[in-house]
Amino acid sequence: MSLQRELDAFKAAFESGGPPYNVSRERIEIMHRATEELRRSGLAERALKVGDLAPTFELDNQDGQLVRSVDLLAEGPLVITFFRGHW
Amino acid sequence: MMELEALQAVWPQLRALGASLIAISPQLGQYGRAARRRAKLEFDVLTDVHLRVAEAFGLAFTLPPDLKQLYAAFGNTLDKFHDEPDFRLPMPARYVVGQDGRIRAADVNPDYTSRPEPEDTVAVVRQLQTPGSKATRSKATS
Repeated sequence: MSLQRELDAFKAAFESGGPPYNVSRERIEIMHRATEELRRSGLAERALKVGDLAPTFELDNQDGQLVRSVDLLAEGPLVITFFRGHW
Repeated sequence: MMELEALQAVWPQLRALGASLIAISPQLGQYGRAARRRAKLEFDVLTDVHLRVAEAFGLAFTLPPDLKQLYAAFGNTLDKFHDEPDFRLPMPARYVVGQDGRIRAADVNPDYTSRPEPEDTVAVVRQLQTPGSKATRSKATS
């Protein structure tokens, strides 16, 4: 199954209000409003885009080892995925 | 997590093309480690404390108060997971950066249930790594 179809299936189950998530209509509305506000803020349009120079960075990995973007780019292209957290 | 698992599925392809893959999240190291283990991720999950890198990419936003309360009711205490008392998060985003440091693909969406296919990302990397195409692309953007 494609990622988007998987996400669509999750969304449908979550927003149905039924098991296993059992989320109330009120809570779903709050989430929708928050996404809509973020969309209207235009932040996504102002984020870095194709052609921009990517900022260089140095961050710890899961084992506390420092990972440098310049080291990774010396080896080849770099794919970065930003995610909010596992929760 | 669905997106991370889907990216894990194409990680061997990306690696075969000579590319790196990393995930960046504001969650503290121990949570990243647990998430990585649970989802059987082989790529690094980096800790972006206080969203400094997310900010540099223009992705950081503050949760509205009602959603903050809702997450707290779910037991998601972001101040604990992220050491982030302001409850800021990165917008979901996927980037492909070329070896010259230029962004070659960018997918940013305020809705985390709308994400690009990993195969599309593999296609961008493949094109970057195809001999001849890199020169063509950099010429087009210079």
